[in-house]
Amino acid sequence: MSAALLEVRDLRTHFHTRAGVLKAVDGVSFTLARGEILGLVGESGSGKSVTGFSLIGLVDPPGRIAGGSIRFDGQELVGLAQPAMRGLRGKRIAMVFQDPAATLNPVLTIGQQMAMAVQAHGGGGERAARELAARSLARVGIPDAVARLDAYPHEFSGGMRQRVAIAIALLHQPELIIADEPTTALDVSIQAQILAEMKALAKESGTALIWISHDLATVSSLADRVMVMYAGRIVERGPVAEVLHAPLHPYTRGLLDSLPALATPGQRLAQIPGSTPSLLSLAPGCPFAPRCARASTACGTDPPQVGDARHGALCHHPLGAGP
Amino acid sequence: MTDILVVEKVSRRFSPRITLGDRIAGLLGATVDRRPVQAVTDVSISVRRGETLGLVGESGCGKSTLGRMLAGILAPSEGRVTLAGEPPMRHGHKVTTRIQTVFQDPFGSLNPRLRIGATIAEGPVTHGLIPRAEAGRFAGEWLARVGLDPAFAQRFPHQFSGGQRQRVAIARALAMRPEVLVCDEPVASLDVSIQAQILNLFLDLRRELGLTSLFISHDLAVVRHVSDRVAVMYLGRIVEMGAAATIYAMPRHPYTRALLDSVPKLALGGNVGVTFKPIQGELPSPLSPPAGCAFHPRCPKASDLCRQERPALLPQADGTLVACHHA
Repeated sequence: MSAALLEVRDLRTHFHTRAGVLKAVDGVSFTLARGEILGLVGESGSGKSVTGFSLIGLVDPPGRIAGGSIRFDGQELVGLAQPAMRGLRGKRIAMVFQDPAATLNPVLTIGQQMAMAVQAHGGGGERAARELAARSLARVGIPDAVARLDAYPHEFSGGMRQRVAIAIALLHQPELIIADEPTTALDVSIQAQILAEMKALAKESGTALIWISHDLATVSSLADRVMVMYAGRIVERGPVAEVLHAPLHPYTRGLLDSLPALATPGQRLAQIPGSTPSLLSLAPGCPFAPRCARASTACGTDPPQVGDARHGALCHHPLGAGP
Repeated sequence: MTDILVVEKVSRRFSPRITLGDRIAGLLGATVDRRPVQAVTDVSISVRRGETLGLVGESGCGKSTLGRMLAGILAPSEGRVTLAGEPPMRHGHKVTTRIQTVFQDPFGSLNPRLRIGATIAEGPVTHGLIPRAEAGRFAGEWLARVGLDPAFAQRFPHQFSGGQRQRVAIARALAMRPEVLVCDEPVASLDVSIQAQILNLFLDLRRELGLTSLFISHDLAVVRHVSDRVAVMYLGRIVEMGAAATIYAMPRHPYTRALLDSVPKLALGGNVGVTFKPIQGELPSPLSPPAGCAFHPRCPKASDLCRQERPALLPQADGTLVACHHA
């Protein structure tokens, strides 16, 4: 087993707002091997997208990485100068965003945009760039790829546009792709097509993938390992089957029980009371404690890491270990 | 059980508005697209008193348009909707309070300048269901009923989270004492843990008030959870309709089957063997729907018959209605 492709240690991304310091990512650590698919699951405001943006150096002010380390193939990315970051971004690390309508330039043809992405990293002449672009489009299942290079984004459907965005991410055969809710805006039938293609592409090319989503089911059908985020922290991580079968953290359990897919039709769902806390006014200790049925006075202090290196959680009272 | 809401052969077209500019462009020889969008075609359904009918389909299939015609806020181009024998709409205006709607976007459907209490009491006061003097107490009662603090009546919508706003929207709809509630994607914009709270609230209130409801959603698991019967729409038509348990256990229409196969399942045993069986191709444009069965270009079972003749929605042995030549 070679060294990890990505090693994140105690990553903290904070937003300095007028109302105070918002700790969107607060001490996130994980590693990712080459070719591995890692799911990052959480509800809105859990910090999953900001984690993704932090990895690729796209945190805008007032946000900044306040501490920690991101090592990509041995190279430290935190504090890396912009030109060096630009050399990596799009070439060795690529990102796919949720809304392809907003990420593609509406006044350039697909071919022009893809050629720009190729040439930004010294991809040779125009003809070579077009050829590479056409090959990449064909790989993500766009029929008649050469002709489609001259089409504008509005001539594509939502699903096709997301395929174009993935084709752009694949241009330089990156070692890591970060995908932030790439199928959330798509219909289920189109989502299934994209998931099938991503799974095959990752396997074929050995690209590591971080799949950020609010949907446990999507992540579970794609990823090898999953991390559950809550209030800026990774509260549980482990192999997909173990986390779903025997979750350690009460929040993971609560999320699973909230899903209608696993419940008896017509019966009340087990619900997590309350709503996600404001990150501006977090009480000390476990951020989930106010909504947790297992909470005790101990939860007023920072929860310990329980479990092992494979499957672990941040909790004073993990499930399966007595009350 | 008696039918409370009856929809007979309803269709709805949306024609593009031809502006003066388009007219001039047309005169100068430019092509102006005057084709109407056929959003809903020849749909007949009946909703029984006390049941929840789920309406599923992907974006653009016409489920919301159908819901709005049922709710009396959109006139059908053809066909007839009746609520307990009376049309819910006359001359382009809704004429009944017996049917109410909860919309998807709780940010867009609440008046941002009106206090929550006033939003809830406005309808009942206007229609004389309660005297104006009682409005404050009435709004407080409804807030408590949907799990919010009655003191919130003095607050404005922006002070609430998405889930709380959806509770307010449900309170506003139910405060009119409707017999039928139309829910158009009421949980689509909510997080999973909040979605569970709203679904529970819906199930509780439905039981308590004996509501009849039409529940529209793209989320098959949510529809399964709340519905007694389910109708599946594709390109403006119902392709399969029947008892929810039957349709989910034994989908007969190839589209229903493909849709159910497309939903990512929680891979409780790990995803080593998980394969996706995606439907090929994309939704055809409703501007030029395919001839014959609208699903034939994407259907693995399609034959010459499917390309030529549209299958009728016919009852199967167990009462499920299916529109397929090869069901």
